[in-house]
Amino acid sequence: MRPSFFHHLHPPSIPARQSRFRYTLGAGGYSVFLILVLLFSGALLMFYYIPTPAEAGPSIQMITFLVPFGALVRNLHYWSAQILVVVAAIHMLRVIFTGAYSPPRRFNYLLGLSLFVLSLFLDFTGYVLRWDEGVRWALVAGTNLVHSIPTIGPGLYRILMGGAQPGPATLTRFYSWHIFGLVVILLGIGVWHIFRVRRDGGIAVPPPEQRQTPERISRFELVRREGLAALIGIAVLLLVAAFIPAPLAPPMSEVTIQVADSKAPWFFLWVQQLLKSGDAFWMGVFVPLAVLLFLGSLPYLLTAIRSDELGRWFPPSGRLAQILVLALVLAILGLTIIAALPPPA
Amino acid sequence: MKKAILAASIFLVIALLVVIWQATHLPRPIALTPTLTGAEEFCLTCHNDLPEISPSHPIETFGCVLCHGGERLALDADLAHATMRGGRNPSDLGVAELSCGGSDCHTGSSELQRDHVGRVLTSLQTTYAGAIASIRFTYGAQSSLPAQMAIEAVQALHPPAGPNDFRPQRLAAFDPQAESHAFIQAFGHNCLTCHLRAEPLPGPDYARLTGCAACHTPTAGRDLNQPVHQLTTVIPYTQCNTCHNRGNYDLRQMSFVPRPDAPTDRLHDYYQPITQFTRCEYELDCLDCHTRTEAMGDGYLYNDQAEQQYVQCKTCHGDLESPPLTRTIRNEADIALRMAYLNPQIPLQIGDTIVVTEKGEPIWNLRQLADGSFEMIAKVTQVRYPVPLVIGSTCTQNPDQQESRYCHACHAVER
Repeated sequence: MRPSFFHHLHPPSIPARQSRFRYTLGAGGYSVFLILVLLFSGALLMFYYIPTPAEAGPSIQMITFLVPFGALVRNLHYWSAQILVVVAAIHMLRVIFTGAYSPPRRFNYLLGLSLFVLSLFLDFTGYVLRWDEGVRWALVAGTNLVHSIPTIGPGLYRILMGGAQPGPATLTRFYSWHIFGLVVILLGIGVWHIFRVRRDGGIAVPPPEQRQTPERISRFELVRREGLAALIGIAVLLLVAAFIPAPLAPPMSEVTIQVADSKAPWFFLWVQQLLKSGDAFWMGVFVPLAVLLFLGSLPYLLTAIRSDELGRWFPPSGRLAQILVLALVLAILGLTIIAALPPPA
Repeated sequence: MKKAILAASIFLVIALLVVIWQATHLPRPIALTPTLTGAEEFCLTCHNDLPEISPSHPIETFGCVLCHGGERLALDADLAHATMRGGRNPSDLGVAELSCGGSDCHTGSSELQRDHVGRVLTSLQTTYAGAIASIRFTYGAQSSLPAQMAIEAVQALHPPAGPNDFRPQRLAAFDPQAESHAFIQAFGHNCLTCHLRAEPLPGPDYARLTGCAACHTPTAGRDLNQPVHQLTTVIPYTQCNTCHNRGNYDLRQMSFVPRPDAPTDRLHDYYQPITQFTRCEYELDCLDCHTRTEAMGDGYLYNDQAEQQYVQCKTCHGDLESPPLTRTIRNEADIALRMAYLNPQIPLQIGDTIVVTEKGEPIWNLRQLADGSFEMIAKVTQVRYPVPLVIGSTCTQNPDQQESRYCHACHAVER
């Protein structure tokens, strides 16, 4: 069989053992799949969404209640975005817990980390596009964090918001970032990330006993597996989108008619919880940046994984990194759960 | 692998069928584009069974959202209702200016008396100023009787009418918690149930809404949990009765003591004990004699009910020396025609001579007939009543005693 365009997007063959689901968890592939769903559903939403403060809310209601399959497309977009954050995080943890960040993959690890941050930014900007009472708190509190940065904060805030407070310019800027700026950067770095996977020797280095005569699978098999995963993925997404609606609240108004939902989006709940215990800049900006810096410096500061331990989960020479990251994950999960619990009566 | 792909394909087909089934079983949206807003709304998808609220507010013209607010495009009940003004009652005085007001509607020109919302806010039925002043004066919180406070702070719509106009220009908000006397606090806690901002007491005898709808939506005796989608100017006495004649204030306990019965026979058990009243007062409806500014205010703030409510027996019956004041309707702009248009059971027309009050307000259902006699057509029941005049009668009333209480001395009905 002659390889098609889609086959040619893949390497001719890859090590069989390193392409198994139990090793990769399919997380990188599913991230690409979800981004494709997001691009497609987002493009459809752009035909109806109107990015002005007066029309944003009504246009989303139009999509949700009146456009045929509009709710389905919006729910697909929403749930793909939420699941992408989870799947990308799982992908990152897989890389850390298998030591796959070791040289020569250190730089690609950084590319991946930046993709994760970009997906959070995309999620947050998309969340703000609802421009309804449910996002008011997150918009005000989130952007005030930028304001709290010493020296550059106020200037950065104006650049981000297009003014001294949230207004029409803010929505235009968030929209532009969401549908263009961040997407272009994400696609550029994403392609670079995938290129570097191939350049760095495929998904991962096989374990030592497999390195001489590795068992390999062809690109045909790989594309079949991806097709199978995509079939299951789209079916699950369709069912989720059909039965669990994306959140929607009354449009943001000058006068707050009802008590606005004062919760951050779920992926920033841990930051919201931190903010309760200290200064906005230190807890809301410095700590998240420090977490990012810590994750980014892992492959550079800690000893590289021993070559004979690569290709397996939890290589012993990466123990310190594994423990530190596990502690970080548990801390973030714990803070998220505390923040998500209803306040004591 | 082929089997796995086949199974996954079947799973996907099932998911697609579920999605299509769901999309084809959604309620079909019912669109309405009211001519006043030009903005499509979908409230009728669920509320298609509601009767039109009044002939003056046709749904094709007004739609729902103009008055009620709410999310016009949302088909999810919680979201659609989240931004409704005043919940189920957009005429609550907290939001009436937004719902019923506006310069094209009921906050129009004061010369044409189209400033209803503003006037109602100054009315004693809203301010409750007389009761508050009386209690505060009694317990030493203010040194004189004129009103100083209202349920909410309010300013008169008009400047003083002259140097002898002592009506208040503004009233401060009454805050029972800020009062030092326990009885005034108790009054604030127990007795503020009958003004237009107050939620009614429970029970069908008190069944009224707040704001404009307290009078204009006939709820008396109905279950307030069921929607009452009606506005009318034909207001029966039973609606007034959801506040008035419902009990007594106990000044020892500083509480309101509701009467235990539900009055059905107007002659025998409508009024309070010791009240004196005449046939007019138990056969007519309140609005047959009492005018719109008595009920809804005229933009001035009044100290008490006796100041705002000025219609007396003589308004319709005249006195020993003269018949009642009258006006002949000369053109279509006469407000009496507008009022009769809203209650079209009374065939008022240009050329008719009607009784007017001393302030010039039309008692537009009381006409002078060709033979010079007067006839009232009751606004609610359409019963025709010949109205006898004092002049030319055997009445021996003192010309200086023209208030109704003096008429009651002879004409009160004995129960």
